[in-house]
Amino acid sequence: MKLEVKTRAGKWLIIASLTQLVLLAAVITAHALLAGTLPHARTRSTPPSVPPPEPIALPTPTVRTLANGLQVLVVEYRTLPVLTLRMNIGAGPEADPSKLPGTAQFVASMYNEGTTEHSALDLAEQIDGAGGTWDNDSVWDISSGTLTVLADHADLAFDLMADMTIHPAYAPRDVERIRKETVSALEVLHSDPSYIADAVVNQLILAGTPYGHPADGTLEATNGLTAQDLSAFHGETYLPNRSVLAVVGDITPAAAFALAEKDFGSWANSTAAQTVMGSSTSVVQGATAAGNPAPKWTTTAQPAGTTRIVIVDKPDAVQTEIRVGFPGIPRSSPDYVALTVANQILGGPASNRLFSDLRGEHGLTYSASSDLNCYLTTGTWVAKTSTRTAETTKAVQRVLQEMKQMRDHPISAFELQQAQDYLIGHQALDFETSAGIADQFLDLLTYRLPLNTWSTWPAALGKLTPDDIWQATRKYLDPDQATIVLVGNSSAFEKDMRRLGATRVIPVDALDLGSPDLVRAGGGAGGR
Amino acid sequence: MQLPNGLRVLMVEDNEAPVVNVQVWYHVGSKDEKPGQTGFAHLFEHLMFDGTTNLDPDEFSNYIVKAGGIDNAYTTEDTTVFWETIPSSVLPVALWLEADRMHNLDISDRSFKNEREVVKEERRQRFDNQPYGDVVEVLYAHAFTVHPYKHVPIGSMEDLDRASVNDVRSFYNTYYVPNNATLVVVGDFSPAELKSSVEEYFGPIAQGQPVRRDIPVEPPQTAQRTLKLTEDVALPAVVEGYHMPADGAPDAYPVHLVSKILAQGESSRIYRRLVYEKQMALEADSQGNFTEDPNLFFVLAVLNSGFTPAQAESEIASVLADLRDHPVSDQELDKAKNEMLGDLIVSHQSTQSRADELGYDAVVLKDPELVNTQVDRYVAVTPADIQRVARTYFIPENMTLIEVMPDAKSGQGN
Repeated sequence: MKLEVKTRAGKWLIIASLTQLVLLAAVITAHALLAGTLPHARTRSTPPSVPPPEPIALPTPTVRTLANGLQVLVVEYRTLPVLTLRMNIGAGPEADPSKLPGTAQFVASMYNEGTTEHSALDLAEQIDGAGGTWDNDSVWDISSGTLTVLADHADLAFDLMADMTIHPAYAPRDVERIRKETVSALEVLHSDPSYIADAVVNQLILAGTPYGHPADGTLEATNGLTAQDLSAFHGETYLPNRSVLAVVGDITPAAAFALAEKDFGSWANSTAAQTVMGSSTSVVQGATAAGNPAPKWTTTAQPAGTTRIVIVDKPDAVQTEIRVGFPGIPRSSPDYVALTVANQILGGPASNRLFSDLRGEHGLTYSASSDLNCYLTTGTWVAKTSTRTAETTKAVQRVLQEMKQMRDHPISAFELQQAQDYLIGHQALDFETSAGIADQFLDLLTYRLPLNTWSTWPAALGKLTPDDIWQATRKYLDPDQATIVLVGNSSAFEKDMRRLGATRVIPVDALDLGSPDLVRAGGGAGGR
Repeated sequence: MQLPNGLRVLMVEDNEAPVVNVQVWYHVGSKDEKPGQTGFAHLFEHLMFDGTTNLDPDEFSNYIVKAGGIDNAYTTEDTTVFWETIPSSVLPVALWLEADRMHNLDISDRSFKNEREVVKEERRQRFDNQPYGDVVEVLYAHAFTVHPYKHVPIGSMEDLDRASVNDVRSFYNTYYVPNNATLVVVGDFSPAELKSSVEEYFGPIAQGQPVRRDIPVEPPQTAQRTLKLTEDVALPAVVEGYHMPADGAPDAYPVHLVSKILAQGESSRIYRRLVYEKQMALEADSQGNFTEDPNLFFVLAVLNSGFTPAQAESEIASVLADLRDHPVSDQELDKAKNEMLGDLIVSHQSTQSRADELGYDAVVLKDPELVNTQVDRYVAVTPADIQRVARTYFIPENMTLIEVMPDAKSGQGN
């Protein structure tokens, strides 16, 4: 059977779950990404030719703003008797108080864990009884709750969503239960090499910004968080004028707006001041409320200046997790379109150079890709792969070589065309389902971009030249200033890395993501 | 529709969005592997992307990608499935590509060896270098004695090393034949054009020999099997596997609902007991790995620091005893049915998820009509059915248990 990866009521986006391992063992997915060589000329049978994809006609979103500033987006889809409500709160871990990383995630974890009116179990009974599913999450810039029910439970869904969003109880018993789960989840994550690599590279690149701490929190902070801390964060960030409610499914816009007005109309904005991670960034942070003017984007993330390497030593690892990254751009940057194309070619979600080289050409890895992570005020650009321990140096060199190629030479017109065709054609897939449509418009509302962004996307892509891509790439991608993170058996490649740049080795047991220098006090003498 | 060469074709037209999903289901999986050849079905799946007499290695996906589409494949115990989701204008290309690799696969020694290394990296990444990564493999190795479900689809490193390019041709000729394949197309297409493309591209492929399957039947388990593992993990865990019926068997429907009663949503019994009330588990779950032949139903828990596997086993045993000893209320059963209905409906949103279900029902359950009729089978389940399957399957002597404990280095606590 093709098993779906079941998420436990969305409690943990982050968990490296045993459940997933059990269920995934039966389904081995081979080719997330495949790249290849260009067709050679030879006599043979070829596929039927078709014209390149045409831009599709996109649906027009129906958006209304309530008096309190809550934006309500409705996507009507009547084919199936299902209704989804998704509440996007415009604050995530970047809004964590400076001493309490993980607050945003803890608050999101408590989303469905009891209100002043309903106990946690009572909420669960009502949701499960409506054939419903619940999911909550908190990622950079966004905390969210998603409730899906059979459509004849629409009234209940709006009532519950409003109650959970506005009136969380933070009862001591429930806080302690979620605390225990969070601590356990962190312990599991801290033994997952892939998680460690992602977290370390993010922290190194974004140090000094509101995004330079562990989004999932730390054991110390999680153990110290109080119900008051949670309530304070909720009061400062779960506000209608920085939130968007998406209503998707078997409901008319008129009915959806009426229910939204009834249940969310009296939700009040608070004027409480905000305290955020890193005092120097509070101005940027304060401007993130959806009702305020968009901030002029700034980023305090700086390139490494020279190649810097951090090895997290895990002597028992059979494989090395590899990350090579740079400071990137905020979502609103004028370079967004060009860098999306550049990333597509380097390691994006389809044909790409990293995959083609490391996997196709050299059989070094199962996956190689790069991510352009764009947040409200900053971002990162990170290549990721993993390889058997003995090939670590070679894999790092291949990644750097592909980056050097991107930096030193413009892409070909053919590659540009292929990336443009993919990104334009792929819009049909992004907008296939009602949930997909809602995601696309939620993205725009969250990052306060014009609602016609997607309908003008093909034209924005189409006018780019290879030189545009090259110029944008050179601003951000510089292998001589890379931040390189390796999680694996250091003894096999440490010497090679020292030849490549300044190298720190941190024993995995001494790693502390909550510490500015990543090392637990008294735990590892600051690395070697 | 069926072509003279035996290829079965299932089509569902839906013009809501200009998107179409194409899948080719080959009825071959890891249970068709012989001892010493574990992992070959999955390795072969990778090779299907590595070139034909018409296309260079990896050129396949370029045709999909430049249209904005995505493609992938997966291997289970029973099937190997190749799929593309594409803008509907390029449907003929996808059909041509699938027919081409069904007909003209051409693997060089170099790409074979390269792909074998890739699969070994996949094993390292997904299992060997993951916390709890080997638990499932060990569990299956002990829960089954003769049936090939005793090895997991990824296979062993030794067997992967042993595989040779010579094995490729015979596997291809045996299993990758039109009479062992089902083509599923769901989405935006014109039926007449689709029919003519399918006949043009797939029609010329010669029929293969009928596929022989001599899969040994697993004898009933008569006593509990227990294993203890000590590993580099942060937290103790308990995984229990109970033999259960094949998917689509009459008893499978109540067992599916049992997994809802035990573990879907936070009001479910296992979650409530272990996570909510006793607060002994970070996560607790139960779900069947439903397959063509009888497989295992899992109950598992990752424990919070300070709790022992024995404590969790005792709570799980008590939850299961309750299910055997007392009929569920109509209300709780209705909730489980509602959840199942919700799953079935939600899974009908994308062309891909509908094609997944249609292919599965046709190939594994051997009845494509089930996409329309299986809801009735769930609705018909009674509290007595639930109690009967609980008494039949969820009993200690039918269980293989694995206790995972952190090793000395990892289990230092906080």
